[in-house]
Amino acid sequence: MEQLVRAARRGDAAAMDALVRALMPYVGRVCGAIALDHGDDAMQETFIAVLRNIRSLREPAALHGWVRRIAVREAIRAARRGREDPVDPEMLRGVSVAPVELSTVLDVRSTLARLGPEQRAVLVLRDVDGLSETEAAEVLGVPEGTVKSRLHRARSAFARRWEP
Amino acid sequence: MSAVQARWPVASLGPVGRARALAASIPSAAWAEGILDAPYDTAWPWVADLEVSVPRFDTQVRRLRVLERSSADGAQRLRIAASTFGVAIPFEVRLEDGYCLMQARARLYLVLMAAEPHDGGRRTRFFHLEAVPLPGTRLMRRHLQRAVDADFANLARLAATGF
Repeated sequence: MEQLVRAARRGDAAAMDALVRALMPYVGRVCGAIALDHGDDAMQETFIAVLRNIRSLREPAALHGWVRRIAVREAIRAARRGREDPVDPEMLRGVSVAPVELSTVLDVRSTLARLGPEQRAVLVLRDVDGLSETEAAEVLGVPEGTVKSRLHRARSAFARRWEP
Repeated sequence: MSAVQARWPVASLGPVGRARALAASIPSAAWAEGILDAPYDTAWPWVADLEVSVPRFDTQVRRLRVLERSSADGAQRLRIAASTFGVAIPFEVRLEDGYCLMQARARLYLVLMAAEPHDGGRRTRFFHLEAVPLPGTRLMRRHLQRAVDADFANLARLAATGF
């Protein structure tokens, strides 16, 4: 990965493309969970920002954390820009999951949609990315106490839905 | 919570979005994006047959030959020679469904084509880019844009008449 970053910094388009392919699964998870309906836009904006600024990444080993910051920022921005539409089951037609799983997808999605993008971001950083509250606060540029309160509200929303 | 995590919404980036991201980061890149009046299932296989398609819609390429073909990393990898103004330029190509990245040796020239089904697959969203990704080539962009626009117009005409 570090070799890829170095080649991308030299303007090698094939390396830039390979970098995008390698980062797509992670960025897709972050942008999808935070920006919901606007996740695809957030993902495109994330990669535009990553490729445009790759030369400013001084230490290739820091790539993952650097991309995380950009993806979270772009996902929150895209979610704020857009209006949250109610979940439309038609959107999920053709998704190859069993009926029970489809309803789970809808439930998770509608629970996430009730939260603000900043709360979804805290949830993603803590529970998907496994960051500590201190690290999540650093990524989001907010005090640790804010992360704690956002996380509490986000987890409560999930607990109400998922725990009997 | 962990059982739920696997069901979280995941965003995706299609071939055209991937191409747009690359385009935005290459200073000299000229590109065109639009809708071809041909089904994706017809348009992309035709475009992906580079020996046939490229000389038909790109007036600067007289002949294109595939010199070597292999597959790796979920894509076809081709080594081709595109004859332009009597000179055969070697390119390394990565060809996937809906995506084709062609980079000339020493990164002197870059061509990118991307496509996605549009209108339920009845038509095709197509993205075409050309660039000279070297320092100090921004001034070439206007010339490249004319060439890309002409290529796109040719392709749209060919698509509308069934290739």
